[in-house]
Amino acid sequence: MSISPRLAVAAGLVALFVAIPLVYIFIRAMGAEPEAWQRLLQTRLWKLLSNTLLLVVAVTSGALLTGVSMAWLTERTDLPGKKIFRWMLAMPLAVPAYIGGIVHLALLRPRGGVIPQFLESVFGQPVPTPSPLGFWGAAFILTLFMYPYVYLLSGAAFRTLHASLEEAARVFGRTPMQTLFHVTLPALRPGLTAGALLVALDILAEYGTVALLRYETFSSAIFVQLSGRYDRSAASVLSGILVALAIVILWGELRLQGQARFTQMESAWRPAPLVTLDRWRVPAFLLVLGVVSASLLVPFTVLLIWSIEAFLDPQAMTVLFRTGSQGFGSYVWNSLWSTSAAAVIAVALSLPVALLAVRYPSRFSRFISRLCQVGYAIPGVVIALSLVLLVNRFLPFLYATPFVVVIAYVLRHMPQAVRASESALNQLSPSLEEASRTLGRTSLQTLIQVTLPLILPGLLAGGSLVFLTSLKELPATLLLRPAGFDTLAVRVWVWAGEGFYLQAAPAALLLVLASALPLSFLLRREQIFK
Amino acid sequence: MTTLEVRNLIKKFHGSERSAVNDISFELSEDEILALVGPSGCGKTTTLRLIAGLERPDSGLIRLNDRVVASDSVFVPPERRGVGMVFQDHALFPHLTVFENVAFGLRGKKPDEIRTTVGEMLHLVGLLPLSKRYPHALSGGERQRVALARALAPRPILLLMDEPFSSLDADLRTEVREHVRGILKSMRATVVFVTHDQDEALFMGDRLAVLNRGELEQIGTPEEIFHESNTRFVAEFMGDSDFLRGRVVAGGIQTEIGLLNQIVDLPVSTPVEIALRADDIDFEVDGSGNSLIVGRFFRGAFNLYRLRLNSGQILHAFTDHTKILPVGTRVQARVSAEHPLTVFSEYHTV
Repeated sequence: MSISPRLAVAAGLVALFVAIPLVYIFIRAMGAEPEAWQRLLQTRLWKLLSNTLLLVVAVTSGALLTGVSMAWLTERTDLPGKKIFRWMLAMPLAVPAYIGGIVHLALLRPRGGVIPQFLESVFGQPVPTPSPLGFWGAAFILTLFMYPYVYLLSGAAFRTLHASLEEAARVFGRTPMQTLFHVTLPALRPGLTAGALLVALDILAEYGTVALLRYETFSSAIFVQLSGRYDRSAASVLSGILVALAIVILWGELRLQGQARFTQMESAWRPAPLVTLDRWRVPAFLLVLGVVSASLLVPFTVLLIWSIEAFLDPQAMTVLFRTGSQGFGSYVWNSLWSTSAAAVIAVALSLPVALLAVRYPSRFSRFISRLCQVGYAIPGVVIALSLVLLVNRFLPFLYATPFVVVIAYVLRHMPQAVRASESALNQLSPSLEEASRTLGRTSLQTLIQVTLPLILPGLLAGGSLVFLTSLKELPATLLLRPAGFDTLAVRVWVWAGEGFYLQAAPAALLLVLASALPLSFLLRREQIFK
Repeated sequence: MTTLEVRNLIKKFHGSERSAVNDISFELSEDEILALVGPSGCGKTTTLRLIAGLERPDSGLIRLNDRVVASDSVFVPPERRGVGMVFQDHALFPHLTVFENVAFGLRGKKPDEIRTTVGEMLHLVGLLPLSKRYPHALSGGERQRVALARALAPRPILLLMDEPFSSLDADLRTEVREHVRGILKSMRATVVFVTHDQDEALFMGDRLAVLNRGELEQIGTPEEIFHESNTRFVAEFMGDSDFLRGRVVAGGIQTEIGLLNQIVDLPVSTPVEIALRADDIDFEVDGSGNSLIVGRFFRGAFNLYRLRLNSGQILHAFTDHTKILPVGTRVQARVSAEHPLTVFSEYHTV
């Protein structure tokens, strides 16, 4: 079909909307006073850079190691209880890393943590325990809540890998272990690399956990400049560097996207035979149980216990259920409407982009599609900074309204909607749309009567992803929200920061449960669990 | 009456070296079935999509029932051309039932009228009992017939069919195509039918248009295309011909297996090629003969022999099924045809 100019213009406008905040950050970074650059270069820049990169490398490797080994154990061995483990290993995606961090910090804090106190009361003297603070703590906590990305990708790859590939390796004289390392893992490499790069991007953007565990990275430094010292030119410079770093990673990820699969499901596909663990059964079981406990069971149980305690505690109850704009109901409502609005807007905006990219592939449409995925590379703090500056200057009437928060969610999570819409359209044969045209429908009627009903499940999946990630978004919400606009995430953060764990727990628990719902829809849809 | 007129149609895709469709012209009269046939990449599907309005031509003219639908200044979108199309993958709407699929093209008509028309169409293709099913619950042949019913229901001026049988199993294909040709003829439909299969083209088409590398090589009745091929490509593509090289001499054409006593209007010593089918060749056992048997294929009523001439040229010959000779036997081959043979000089028939 020949390209429709209306569609190209619509997609171009979406790309422009997405690109403006990014471009503006670079303009501000370049335009910052030379002293600001000087000051940062002399003092903090190198420390921040090494801190950030160190964390990125540590968490990415940790997530790869954990994710791949968990996927291998649950997909390719006779591990006991693997069906339920498959679910539980994916569910930490519903737990925001900072909430996991809050729980682990409360349990392990060197002074006053639950476990050190317990040990002291048993042994009568302080027992040294590992501290969750600083680099190792941050790396540990983030690995716990980031590995599911890699786990899901490698699990899917393990499942679709053709059995004959491994059988061929065996026939040519490789042992099962050699086969794993010489054939299976290399075959999964493109998918794994893509997963690892996504984890790296998330770490660059992570604010809550690193701030909580007092490990300074670019994101947390920008946040401090913005909220505390209010030094916008320093924040701009740091943001420019951070985004440049992230774009390099995103560029690699986008390049991998098209070629992310060596393996394909064929009609003659059959699952590979399972590896028998024998005497490793028990250690393997304990290992998986350990990961599931630390990332899911412990945080969930602790939140549950705290919530019950909160309901039994009259003082906490009065704080929670204050009426009006300060009550629990209003936090829930704020969270729900802002994230739902972001999901709907992001999916709607992704449609023209995806239609253009999938139905009219060209250099131009590919450029537009990639531009719309740049949100992956703009951390929440940077989006907040850019929007503060832009709205102040050009749209002052929007300043300090919840709509700016919604725009931030849309910008940040648009890539997920674009990818979901593109993959839904890719699965729809263009001949269906052509059939509708030859049967007398215009292109717009075809879109409404044929294309949209058929890609709706894919659009819902994209919307769920945007909803899920916006719900737990923290830094942009904290920086952009008008006074009094509290979401669940904000309340959890503020209360936990002030040490009111009991008050924070019900909100955190609700946040986790509300995230688990769209997540299980997504997992079921991707047929990850049969 | 002329239903479809295509004049000097040209379409070149972005980033491609040569034109997908290069200066194609033909006409189609009412009630006629034209089979567009050629190897993959020959431009037959592009021609079909240009007629449907799914692609925009670079230049050229398309007229449907005397109305210009595509030219340098006019482009009528597919929904306003009044053509029906059957797609290679059938393209049934998976979210609609069989009934709703067939009714899709009847929008704007009265409900009664829609029910009657859909009923008639489904009856015609023999699927009335399945009208409430969804496409995924149909077999390949049933889907094919729903697609046909859907395309025919709005009574299109012209029906376009893009390799409609290619997704069916081979044994089902022969049965379905007889059925479909019967339906098309009973509806007196005007059809452009695209296929890469010579047998299917010979079977379906009232006329055939052979395409190669975007150009129209020959258009004519099945008999003309098969027996009077205009170009070497058509002879090669439509029938299993061997091409024997020769040179024009005073009394005919001198070849490796003797003088062919056929006068051609070409200067002496012009190199030519003669198209030979297996029934044009005969041979006798001869220890000092001009060729060697390199293969024998038993075909029931006859034997097909594969002969290699001294130059390495391969020819095929039919013999009686009782004449059985071992591979490696030296034989004397000769042209036994009693009708004039097709002779090509520089690709074209002379």
